[in-house]
Amino acid sequence: MSVAGRGSASEAAPFVRPDGKEKVTGSGRYTADLSLTGQLYAKFRYADHTHARIVSVDASRARAIPGVLAVLTHEDVPDVLYGDLVQDRRLFAKERVRFEGDVVAAVAALTSEIAEEAAAAIDVEYEPLRPVSDIEAALADDAPLIHEDWESYEADENLGLKGNVLGYSTVVKGDADAAIGGADVVVRGRYVTDASQGAPIEPRALIARWQGDHVIVWSSTQVPYAARAGVAHVLQIPQSHVRIVVPLLGGGFGSKCDFHYEGHVAALARAAGRPVKLVFSREEEFVAPDHRREGMVIELETGARSDGTLVARRGRLVLDGGAYCGEGGFFAQIAAMHACGPYVIENVDVSSTLVYTNNQPSGSIRAPTAPQVCWAVEQHMDELAAALDLDPVELRRRTLVEEGSEGPTRQVFGPIGMKATLERAVEMIAPDGDLAEDEAIGVSCGWWPSFGNPSGAYVKLNADGSGTIVTGAQENGSGAVMALPLLAADVLGMEPSDFSILYQDTEAAPFDAGSSGSQTTMNNGRAVVAAAHEVREKLLDLAAEQLEVAREDLELADGQVRVAGAPSKAVEIAELAGSGEQLLGKGSGPVPEAPPCDAQGCLGRLGMESFLEPQVFTHAVRVRVDRETGVVRVLHVAAAHDSGVILNRLGADGQVFGGIVMGIGQALLEVSQLDEDGRQRNPHLLDYKLVTASDAPRIDVDWVETPAQDGGPKGSKGVGEPPTVPTPGAIANAIARVVDARVYELPMTPERVWAAMQTNGR
Amino acid sequence: MTSSFLSAATLEEALSAMEQGARPVAGGTDLVVGARQGKAPLPESIVAIHRLDELRGTSRSNGALVLGALVSHAEIAADPFVRERLTALADASAIVGSRATRLHGTVGGNVMNASPAMEIGGPLMVFGATATLRSANGERSVSVTELLTGPGTTLASSGELLTEVGIPLPADGTGSCYARLEYRRQMEIAVVGATAAVTLRDGGVEGARVAITALAPTIRLVPEAEAALVGTDGGSGAVVAAARAAAAAAQPISDVRASAEYRTAMAEVVARRVIGAAIARARGEAVEVPASSSLFGAGGGA
Repeated sequence: MSVAGRGSASEAAPFVRPDGKEKVTGSGRYTADLSLTGQLYAKFRYADHTHARIVSVDASRARAIPGVLAVLTHEDVPDVLYGDLVQDRRLFAKERVRFEGDVVAAVAALTSEIAEEAAAAIDVEYEPLRPVSDIEAALADDAPLIHEDWESYEADENLGLKGNVLGYSTVVKGDADAAIGGADVVVRGRYVTDASQGAPIEPRALIARWQGDHVIVWSSTQVPYAARAGVAHVLQIPQSHVRIVVPLLGGGFGSKCDFHYEGHVAALARAAGRPVKLVFSREEEFVAPDHRREGMVIELETGARSDGTLVARRGRLVLDGGAYCGEGGFFAQIAAMHACGPYVIENVDVSSTLVYTNNQPSGSIRAPTAPQVCWAVEQHMDELAAALDLDPVELRRRTLVEEGSEGPTRQVFGPIGMKATLERAVEMIAPDGDLAEDEAIGVSCGWWPSFGNPSGAYVKLNADGSGTIVTGAQENGSGAVMALPLLAADVLGMEPSDFSILYQDTEAAPFDAGSSGSQTTMNNGRAVVAAAHEVREKLLDLAAEQLEVAREDLELADGQVRVAGAPSKAVEIAELAGSGEQLLGKGSGPVPEAPPCDAQGCLGRLGMESFLEPQVFTHAVRVRVDRETGVVRVLHVAAAHDSGVILNRLGADGQVFGGIVMGIGQALLEVSQLDEDGRQRNPHLLDYKLVTASDAPRIDVDWVETPAQDGGPKGSKGVGEPPTVPTPGAIANAIARVVDARVYELPMTPERVWAAMQTNGR
Repeated sequence: MTSSFLSAATLEEALSAMEQGARPVAGGTDLVVGARQGKAPLPESIVAIHRLDELRGTSRSNGALVLGALVSHAEIAADPFVRERLTALADASAIVGSRATRLHGTVGGNVMNASPAMEIGGPLMVFGATATLRSANGERSVSVTELLTGPGTTLASSGELLTEVGIPLPADGTGSCYARLEYRRQMEIAVVGATAAVTLRDGGVEGARVAITALAPTIRLVPEAEAALVGTDGGSGAVVAAARAAAAAAQPISDVRASAEYRTAMAEVVARRVIGAAIARARGEAVEVPASSSLFGAGGGA
């Protein structure tokens, strides 16, 4: 691994996250490890068809089974719809089932075997409807409507909900048609991606317990506050009656975003009068809503002048939203932005349609939409380079954005290290000698916005001078919450190890949007800094009085408040904290807003028409391809990212390592295969192939640290999502160089690489 | 749901339980994992045989290697004698499932699970291995080739327990190899696999056995491939002809792992590399165990 060496915080000694040891040694306790006295076990009755009208549900046989304490259907809970940008789903399917994971009924019983038996004994009569699994078929005039009542739904009006169109968004700039007509070179491509999964190692687990009319739900969620709001909404009770606690979370990758099963277990526990525990099987984890990355069809057309100037990009994207909107309503717009990419393009006309189907609903899997679209765009750029007879790196050098460039919606970029990441990645991937004849290097660039969200934290000092951070931020395994003490310690002149962290409990801490959108450091980091500053102010007041010096002469360092330049005149922070004075701070910090742009001609505007403090990056990869079998091995990845100032190099590098390995899986192996009805054919880890540690390549990481103007603490940005984004595209470009053929389907499985060689090349 | 579970202390006890309908379990890597996956529920009645010392260990007798039913994949893969003389079996045992599977999974369970994708099936067939089946009423010996009758089915009756596998030692001058196409480096299952054992004498092929894996309802020997090798110099022409014959014997299905078309095309590639590696080993050239790592997956890391 190379060293950045730019005089930033990233040069500091490696900060080892405090939860690491318990997780690695197995002493960490996850939700499934919890048990409550008298707890029951929950099982769901899932839809027996992917698309059907429910004629009747009869739970009488199930209720009669000894040991069954509760059976719930839609009749047993308030008749309310929920969802983010569209309220289109219920806890229990009422008139229709729309995908294989729809919950028709739920059982709580003394054992999970009895619960399973009872779930199977619920008699559900269906009238099957024609399933719609293919996304383009869903747009056909005669396609059955997935949601017959779509017109009655509460939905964000900017979404463009209409029939099976869940969302429609465009990015329009100038006159792309005319510009294509006048271009020296035009290339076109059609790229198709299959769905893949978040696939956290920990399947979902929840336990609910009521006390009076208040409920506590322990849940493996990335978004406890959304879960609390969801429970309150579906059970029609105040949010103050719902407390969500998250024990250690065993990964999420976005698949544990949004409100899901907390409502089901809370309702079951209330009906049964006992705590209820639900632990998913691996198959349930696979079919659950919002756990997958959506499939897409991406059509791109780009016109360029012979010097490489991009005069126009036209694009048409169709995205598989699945059966329900969930929190994925914004996917059409963000995919459209990614179809433009971090390039200077004079004219743009991209349309993006998110469609309802009878497939598993899509969710915010680590940089939703971006890896797929980036994979298409970056192959397209290499194809354009070939048509222009330009080196692909040179084409990117000439066309990537820089400070002062105008984005696809005329957003003007501030300082941005895009081009520097290209040069650095190319430098790092350079081989020592010649490449073997079955090896090649591919390059891919990308971007991902930062998200400004409201977020809060408290910081308090304990009587012994140690500190506690109370935060609403959720730890999903990235370590972002674990690194918050770095920020508080820095403000207070203390050590990070002086702080404990109370987190993932909605009753204890202020609101946070949860572990999504790479937003924890960006937003909660600012909140912690603000809270620590409140404490700092109080410490300065107390010390000034005690030392009888002016406040402005004081500094906080080494666990003391002391006179700058005269460190012998000092008071220990522990002494001040032990004086009985309450040293409490609270913080939220201003929420950065998306930068100005001109999106007049764009439809489906949901706030992503400009990118706040974009994280920009280039990955260069070296692959080896077995030309007879199509098996691809990634040998080396060089990743250069500009995520602003890096606060914790060890943690940031870890995100890149993990994101690259996830990206390799998405590039080469990970696919949820569907049958004609939209059922998954491989919902298990035997045939849904994650890459293993043995497949991990050499990875070199470097950071181009352009301080963010309106980002997180100290000029930082997010880090967690970007590393997945450019990985498939870089691998695709390297494969194409070895086999002299393009693979237009993602993942680029051995069979697809082999098939491309049979048809396109050799 | 399982209502009866017995951990047998003696072989007789185990056989008696099986006579009354109990299914045996040793490592549980197929039975338990399959039940968790919803493939098949755990049997009503189970007899655990993992405490039966008489089913453990390897021995040599009458020019054969005898593997007790409880011998694990990890033990086989680490056995220097197997690596030297029955190299294809070491190739196979070293890549079954995960490290945990190899430590717990047993020869007996693996063979009787009768998967057409079983790693060790091809090696056992090319070496002419026989399985000893014991029941409360007696004992019989059948060749592994005859034993495997279809996906998940064997010749054994429900009261019969596989107690050991005997593998005749191949003639001097024999090299053998098993490999499979691998999409990733660990935790794989054969999509296409092949085994070859080739005996060289005076520079020519005196004997050959070739088997194909995951390409038909059972692992099967391909006599046509063997015929294409015997009597030749083992050069590339003969190897290609034998590989084509192996591919021609494939009756692959299309499933989530691959299409039939791809499997057929890969059958020839895999068979060619495997036969080539077996000949190389017969000539004393080094091909590292497990062969899959070097023959497939575009080789090792950077």
